Amino acid sequence: MEVLKEYWVFIVPLIIAELALMVAALTHVLRHSNYRFGSRALWIFIVVFFQIIGPLAYFIFGRGVDE
Amino acid sequence: MKHYLVFFKKELLEYNRTYKLLILLLVFLILGIMNPLTAKLTPDLLAKFMPEGVSITLPEPSSLDSWAQFYKNVTQMGLIVTILVFSGVLSSELSKGTLIILLTKGLPRRVVILAKYMSMLVLWSASILTSFLVTWAYTVYIFPDGKSANLLFSMFCLWLYGALLLAVLLLAATLVKSSYGSLLITGVVVVLLTILNIAPAIQQYNPLSLAAKNMDLVMQNIEPSSLFPAIGVTVLATVVLLFAAVVIFRKKQL
Repeated sequence: MEVLKEYWVFIVPLIIAELALMVAALTHVLRHSNYRFGSRALWIFIVVFFQIIGPLAYFIFGRGVDE
Repeated sequence: MKHYLVFFKKELLEYNRTYKLLILLLVFLILGIMNPLTAKLTPDLLAKFMPEGVSITLPEPSSLDSWAQFYKNVTQMGLIVTILVFSGVLSSELSKGTLIILLTKGLPRRVVILAKYMSMLVLWSASILTSFLVTWAYTVYIFPDGKSANLLFSMFCLWLYGALLLAVLLLAATLVKSSYGSLLITGVVVVLLTILNIAPAIQQYNPLSLAAKNMDLVMQNIEPSSLFPAIGVTVLATVVLLFAAVVIFRKKQL
């Protein structure tokens, strides 16, 4: 808690940005059913549990070509 | 001119719809916040994880550490994500066939290449600027030591290096069909530049210096003017690459 009190100016925007990335990826995963590979469950797992890298991987490699 | 504007707007709209805009801005924002934070916390973390009885004395972190993080992260993670995001710059539209409709309706091929380059450049500029401003604001806030110099010029160098890589990527996209092919070519070019950098005589002219000498600039170990040859070569190379991309794309069978 001590760290949070001292560094909230960093941590709060950081968490907001990471959450925004996650939410954007998650809504996309749930709204579309075409993925280049993998299943919906796999992508939900990746997007939720791997911060930053997960949503990035989804948007760059996993997103279906068909919109 | 009208063609350029319309196609440019279409590209920006596409960046928004395909989440490219969101990804790049958020990733660079996150990097921007992490740079000063990592610089501040690293000594504490190291001290915590040292085994019992071992004590090391680390110098107090300064604004230089924060900028070192910036140039490390943006040249690695930042550039890699940018190139990955833009890897399908031509191939996705060619494979879907949407570009062919526009071209048969009389859109000059030159416009496609140049407008695509301009829009990539705009997004890359916005991204690096986001990261720079955020890092700068936090650094001034936690390390008000004023030790860092040449900040804007140093960022400009890195930006220019990114602009060169985007031109390489675009030329590669006109040469090969798949997006992985153009990624591979861009990677090979970076490796070649790294190998060239071994020769001290070439270093001065090597575009890679623009992404490698940033901390020397910030610490005032070198003069900004020492990078002018590399800047000249980079600008020239970018223009030549774009010209080549236009010529090749014009002759390409779609």
